[in-house]
Amino acid sequence: MAEKPNPEEKTVPFFPDHLAYEAKVALWFGIGLIIIGVIGLFSPVGLGAPADPMVTPEHTKPEWYFLALFQLLKWLPKTMGAVAPVILVLIILVWPFLDFKADKSRKIVRVRGIVTAILVVITIVLTILGEVT
Amino acid sequence: MKSLHTRIILLGAVLVILAAILGITSRPAIAGNGPSIQSPTELADQGLESIVLFSQLQAQTLPPPANQDPCLHCHIRGEETGLWTPLTRWIVFGTAGLVFVFGLVRTTSALKTRRSWKPIPKRFSAWLEERYEYQEPLAKVLEKPVPDWQRRWWYCLGGLTFFFFFVQGVTGIMLAFYYKPTPEAAYASIQFIESQVYFGRAIRMMHHWSANGMVVMCFAHMLRVFIMGAYKKPRELNWVSGVTLFIMTLAFGFTGYLLPWDQRAFWATTVGSEIAGGIPVIGNLALIFLRVGWDISSLTLSRFYALHVLIIPLITVAMMLAHFIMVRRQGIMKPL
Repeated sequence: MAEKPNPEEKTVPFFPDHLAYEAKVALWFGIGLIIIGVIGLFSPVGLGAPADPMVTPEHTKPEWYFLALFQLLKWLPKTMGAVAPVILVLIILVWPFLDFKADKSRKIVRVRGIVTAILVVITIVLTILGEVT
Repeated sequence: MKSLHTRIILLGAVLVILAAILGITSRPAIAGNGPSIQSPTELADQGLESIVLFSQLQAQTLPPPANQDPCLHCHIRGEETGLWTPLTRWIVFGTAGLVFVFGLVRTTSALKTRRSWKPIPKRFSAWLEERYEYQEPLAKVLEKPVPDWQRRWWYCLGGLTFFFFFVQGVTGIMLAFYYKPTPEAAYASIQFIESQVYFGRAIRMMHHWSANGMVVMCFAHMLRVFIMGAYKKPRELNWVSGVTLFIMTLAFGFTGYLLPWDQRAFWATTVGSEIAGGIPVIGNLALIFLRVGWDISSLTLSRFYALHVLIIPLITVAMMLAHFIMVRRQGIMKPL
């Protein structure tokens, strides 16, 4: 099932060596979280004005991870704007069945890397535009 | 410890020690706390001296009457507020007592048979091994060799996503202890968390930023798997479960965002569900399912809370189980 480990490869046992390494990484992130918590003690997340169904505030926007879709919605008509993300997600979901040919060389990995980089840049730009406009 | 009478004697010793612990840790109730009882002289007049001590003990352990300081729910003897409540005293001294008794038993049994004994952890694992035979499969899991190339930083992203999910679970539970999921009380309950709950601000801040961290790590992990082509045969279902997990992460964010019930939350959810309503054919169904009606109301809040705390976590855990089992079974794909 799993590819047999190459006997010449340098390996470490999962326990305790690799687990300790992972634990160290998690510990650093945990320390970062505790620092965030300490910051939260002095400058908490807070709340906006209480919800009022009668009063619509001027600029409402979703959380930052939805801003790209939000910006897309501003450009596309309503139906298209709702359907496009759904179709995108469905394509991503079944991608292994669309791109099923085995990788022959490292070139294709580089190509995928470049395509990904372009898409990520587009997403970041859309997110920033969603924030500022 | 073979014979029944020995066991009974030892059980009796345990009970005596526990009773002594109760006596040592109890302090007289503050004056006026608890119901009034007859004084010892009154009871003695009735010829009931023997129950004086017992009723005094009883009075000291009755719960405080209603309309009193809620601190007294745990600090029932009115001692200073802190962690040293009767419950913690019971647990600490009870454990100490049990450990002492166990040591006593062990010493006596060794004296009788002159047999050397194994350390307690080894005895416990041998006991379990006899019954479950777990050590061989566990050794296989623990000693699995991890090649160096699998320890590069981009292979840690998935694990970090799980780490953030775990943090979200723990901080989420702590917040759920105090959050009230009704429009009338939600805003105030979060203000309560941020002002009255010890470290409530810190926990909420961690929950907020861990959410962002989880989204970022999940996305980064997905990109890494995509670039390296680790979604191809035989790992297609792994990718599908992973994308489902990504959608669940975004769903967590969407449902959790409404819970503070402030203007931003309310109207962002309005906009979000409007967008869902724009999908052709199923749009109205989606809108009504999300909002439980045409408008956002208390029913919406309850539904989002149930989604955020019960349904989406269950789906996420199920998908994670599948994802981890598949990764373990198939191994990490070796790059070209």
